[in-house]
Amino acid sequence: MTFIGLALGVFCIGLYGVLVRRDTVAVLASVEVMLGAATVMLVGLSATSTLPAGGADPSVTGAVGLVIIVLAAAEASIGLALLLAVSRRMKTARLDEMQEVNG
Amino acid sequence: MSTSELVFWFLAGVTALSAVGVVFQKDVTRMALSLGAFLLSVAGWFLFFAQAFLAVAQVFVYVGGVLVLVIFAIMLLHRGEGGSTGLESRHSIDAAMVALGLFFIVGMTFVDVAPTLTAVPGQMGSEAVGAQLLSGMLVHFEAIAVLLLAALTAVMAISGGDRS
Repeated sequence: MTFIGLALGVFCIGLYGVLVRRDTVAVLASVEVMLGAATVMLVGLSATSTLPAGGADPSVTGAVGLVIIVLAAAEASIGLALLLAVSRRMKTARLDEMQEVNG
Repeated sequence: MSTSELVFWFLAGVTALSAVGVVFQKDVTRMALSLGAFLLSVAGWFLFFAQAFLAVAQVFVYVGGVLVLVIFAIMLLHRGEGGSTGLESRHSIDAAMVALGLFFIVGMTFVDVAPTLTAVPGQMGSEAVGAQLLSGMLVHFEAIAVLLLAALTAVMAISGGDRS
């Protein structure tokens, strides 16, 4: 199954976005792309694994995936709140304009 | 080409194109739409792997929650800017080298693993996930509940503003 290559490729596209984007919301969206790719990889590997016992328990896959989804949702909400607070303080939403460390 | 392969390549195309859209789209509103397409395609992957419950959770939590948050952030942060943000090309070559390097390094570790993977047939409903969450993964379940509560409190504390 070539989903591994696809998930890895999408993860690297997201990484490129995190490194290149200058807009804070776009960086966070790229992080979401990386998280999505990692979740697809994890769930896919779990669903297609060939363990000696006959493969992973599908319900474990679902529970682990659910934990990741909830963690990612918490990360996104805190990230966006931080973006709002920082951009309110710095008066800009662009990373290259945020140059004061001790603002 | 079997139906499974057709679905696989369709999902692969949508996922890759929407991810490229998120990273390269200059207009932030279109970027949010690409992100929505990407998150829906991830839900499609969960369905492809017979994880219907995860697919529903993905649509509810991400498309219904996180995407709305992103759109709210765009509306709050990009007032009067026309919604357009540039891609700075100053570090694009370095970033591409880092991303490609990671792709090849991690990809090489999967080359030997990938051919041995075969799909495990198994249907998984919400009942099985619920049983798993409340038995083997009870600690994780409670931990993410506490984490979500902490996240909610943190979001209110951070975005509440300075009232002093």
